[in-house]
Amino acid sequence: MAFDPDNYGLRLFVRYLVLCLIALIFIFPLVFMINSSFKPDNQLLADTSSLRAFLPVGDISLDNYFGAFRRAPVALFVLNSVLVTGATVLLSLLICSLAAFSFAFLRWKGRDVVLSIVIATLIIPFETIAIPLLLLVSKLPWIGLEGLQWGWLNTYRVQIIPWIADGLTIFLFVQYFKGLPGELIEAGRVEGASWWQVYYRIVMPLSGPVLATAAILKFLVMYNQYLWPLIVVQQENYRPIMVGLGYFFQLNVAWGEVMAYLTLITVPVLIFYLFLQRAFIASIASTGVKG
Amino acid sequence: MASKLTLSNRTGWTFALPGFALIFTFIVLPFFFAIGLSLTNQRLLSPNPTQFVGLENYRQLLGFAVVTLEPERDEAGEVVRDEAGEIQYPRLRAITRSDDYPQYRGMREWFRWQSGENVMVVIARDVVFMKALVNTFLFVLVVAPVQGGLALMLALLINQKLRGISIFRTIYFMPVVVSIVVVSLLWRFIYDGQNGLLNSILQGLSFGLFQPVDWLGDPSTALPAIMAMSIWQAVGFHMVIWLAGLQTISPTLYEAAAIEGASKWQTFRYVTWPGLRNTAVLVLVVITMQGFALFAQIDVMTNGGPRDSTQTLVFQAVERGYGKQDISGGSTISVILFAIVLAISLIQRWLTRER
Amino acid sequence: MAEVSLKGIKKSYGRVDVIKGVDIHINDGEFVVFVGPSGCGKSTLLRMIAGLEEMTEGILEIGGRVVNELQPKERGVAMVFQSYAIFPHMTVRENIAFGLTIAGASKQEKEQKVAEAARILQMEHLLDRRPSQLSGGQRQRVAIGRAITRKPAVFLFDEPLSNLDAALRMDMRMEIGRLRRQLGTTMIYVTHDQVEAMTLADRIVVLKDGQVMQIGAPMELYHEPANRFVAGFLGAPSMNFLTVDVLDLDGEAATVGNRALEPIRVATRRRPFRKDGKAILGIRPQHLRAVQSGKGMLHGVVAHAERLGSETVVDLTLRDDRELIAAFNEDKIFQPGDALELAFDTALAHLFPEEG
Ligand SMILES: Nc1ncnc2c1ncn2[C@@H]1O[C@H](COP(=O)(O)OP(=O)(O)OP(=O)(O)O)[C@@H](O)[C@H]1O
Ligand SMILES: [Mg+2]
Repeated sequence: MAFDPDNYGLRLFVRYLVLCLIALIFIFPLVFMINSSFKPDNQLLADTSSLRAFLPVGDISLDNYFGAFRRAPVALFVLNSVLVTGATVLLSLLICSLAAFSFAFLRWKGRDVVLSIVIATLIIPFETIAIPLLLLVSKLPWIGLEGLQWGWLNTYRVQIIPWIADGLTIFLFVQYFKGLPGELIEAGRVEGASWWQVYYRIVMPLSGPVLATAAILKFLVMYNQYLWPLIVVQQENYRPIMVGLGYFFQLNVAWGEVMAYLTLITVPVLIFYLFLQRAFIASIASTGVKG
Repeated sequence: MASKLTLSNRTGWTFALPGFALIFTFIVLPFFFAIGLSLTNQRLLSPNPTQFVGLENYRQLLGFAVVTLEPERDEAGEVVRDEAGEIQYPRLRAITRSDDYPQYRGMREWFRWQSGENVMVVIARDVVFMKALVNTFLFVLVVAPVQGGLALMLALLINQKLRGISIFRTIYFMPVVVSIVVVSLLWRFIYDGQNGLLNSILQGLSFGLFQPVDWLGDPSTALPAIMAMSIWQAVGFHMVIWLAGLQTISPTLYEAAAIEGASKWQTFRYVTWPGLRNTAVLVLVVITMQGFALFAQIDVMTNGGPRDSTQTLVFQAVERGYGKQDISGGSTISVILFAIVLAISLIQRWLTRER
Repeated sequence: MAEVSLKGIKKSYGRVDVIKGVDIHINDGEFVVFVGPSGCGKSTLLRMIAGLEEMTEGILEIGGRVVNELQPKERGVAMVFQSYAIFPHMTVRENIAFGLTIAGASKQEKEQKVAEAARILQMEHLLDRRPSQLSGGQRQRVAIGRAITRKPAVFLFDEPLSNLDAALRMDMRMEIGRLRRQLGTTMIYVTHDQVEAMTLADRIVVLKDGQVMQIGAPMELYHEPANRFVAGFLGAPSMNFLTVDVLDLDGEAATVGNRALEPIRVATRRRPFRKDGKAILGIRPQHLRAVQSGKGMLHGVVAHAERLGSETVVDLTLRDDRELIAAFNEDKIFQPGDALELAFDTALAHLFPEEG
């Protein structure tokens, strides 16, 4: 090595240099995306041959954003995604935690069998059941304001309901509940609480960390949905953001507008992530604790 | 006497039922549905009634054979050569369309190799599927060790006690929270043959010597390009899992190693790595599972091309089941995929079993 | 208020029998303490009374009512747990009022009952704190407060003081004693601390391996232990046991002795012994006296001595190489190696059959 290995300052400098270079690798596509979203198409394409690609220089404007809004009902897509994501996350927290509560604290006939089925579904990749699921939801009944209908295609519910319950979320809740001090639950029972009261007065208020984990994991899955809405939603009215991207790839691609749209749908998540990065990282780490 | 005291059948079922019913309806049922469909000839818009066809779909997908082509010979028994001196062989069609070989009917060439004077040709009933199968395995075999290894290196790097280290952790993890669709689109730009950032960077670094490559347009570079991008996107995810594993190793072990005068490498080899055994299995399995589910990158970046060089199992399952409305064909691929995944998780169970 | 009656209660986890047939009758307003070594089934017994665990066999009555299949809340019991089990996300006030909230009590009623409990336990100033801001003793008080607001018929305590340090433990012990006099409710108290058992109990139930060894008032157990286990379990330092030869037997007493012990006559208390057989002689360390040379019944050499100020505990090696502990209630100096002769009042000694 060319430098004195005992020189503390130099070693520190090299460490930080390595860390920063790696950071560049992870960050450059995003920097490129954000900067490009302000540039007209011809400049955007020309800039890729130099470092200008990563700098907000030249003919900077918000035109691409206006263009994107003109080309596609962006607000509608965002609204759809927010609605679908929000509803799924909330319902999932409620329904999965209830089921997990039952698995963790209650004794009932068939519990162990049901729990093993739930855990076994962990190894079924969604992609392998997408097509049969499509056939299934296209024939399911629904009772709405207009009476009985058949088929769930082109709705919000088809994007929400199949995603509410999943093995991983239930598993995470069960693990967490089993780690709670059992005497708290017993104290609640002796004091006269029903199981439902134990659930919402004692267990739920103590489940902040696992609720955050489950919410974040579900949020990432739902906000980034692609394959499923692609095949079950043909009507614009119900399209989420990722599928909305299709509008920007007809005939000749307006790259500036694409970048504006990508920035628009990505940056809120990034900000959300930066604020809650500890919780995000902890939630991923906790999925690794299984096994 | 089984008392009612601690048994709460009614409440237990009531609480678990909504979640279980949803899982049953939307995961378990479609799963068996897929198995059932793979045994029929169901198509979405078919005038003919659906029939049970047994394992025919699997035969269609998995059928392959090796045939040997002998050189053409003239009357004297001499090998026929063209002007360039290349040996002439009969056309494959002579076999696959011949009534002498009904078992090869409808098969197409997958790949061939030279063996002495002869040529061995592997023919398959469904060459695209075979390519998808091979590509998927190739993807997993490359990505799992590379991504897992890089993630471990990042985790070790991030596990140092340095001021501001959590900023770097935050940055390395950032691509994980970005949609894979968005990431794939951005990388289409990076990989572009004309204006691509990658070409520009490589040309800059080599002072213009580097010849631009159409990364996604060339069958020999398309799959590696997608592998590289996939590694980039999810390496932070696995870094975090490694980190969680690293944090379970007791600091006293490191202190003991330091007192024994172990070098950095020895400390890693004898303290860190043994403590990461289960994490290693987990990381590999998770990457493998994610690898077998490879779809969005393909759909956004290459659509399986060029020349089927980036076909994958899930992409084929979706393209057939949804795009071509060949429900039974798509389902069959799904079931094959599931069988592979199941085998892997059984292997994981076995590797991490209690001893 | 209520009596509690356990009839032929058994409990097994799978094949393991944890409680092997227990009969106890607890009178209304009585303070009964369950003691026994760790793992003997004290908590299991208490949790079965609370309704947290089901019984494998037997009948449990509270207030004359068979409660085998009743849920905890229907049994009229309150329980204080070893870990306190107070709810960390609620204030002290909310914790104490929890049972009332669940029962749908009015705000006024809750306020009044919480105030009363706080007064009894002297913690009015703590009501708006969170459990994390409380000391161990204060948490224990909250747990007790939560138990008393509902005016249960029976109180159950599972080692409530074992997480506290020695000084606090004594304070709380006295407090529980006071509380008990104030409320007059039936109380069942589990501990493995014999001082708690001796000072608090009307009656003590000594358990071992899921079986009752003896039930009785504290002094009855101390002075007239039914068997070697009870004899050794109560009293500190614990009773000395010497293996002796039965030299002679008559109606009421046996003459016993060995190489270290001059022959003495000890009452047999109707226990079966065999002439020329072996027996176990039990002598409490406090009952031993040092005497002049030639007048002692036991001969030994000081191995080790501990001066506690109020007491001197001496570890002796007897002539037959067995160990013996003696406790003298004065401060005395002994040197290792000193020869010592000891005497005791044979009426205070106990003779037990060799096995059991
Ligand atoms: N759920 C269970 N499954 C199997 N065995 C159990 C279970 N709970 C308790 N036991 C066993 O039952 C026996 C009695 O346990 P219990 O908790 O009643 O003991 P304890 O007398 O309260 O002891 P300690 O003083 O340590 O609290 C123990 O041997 C314990 O191992
Ligand atoms: Mg106990």
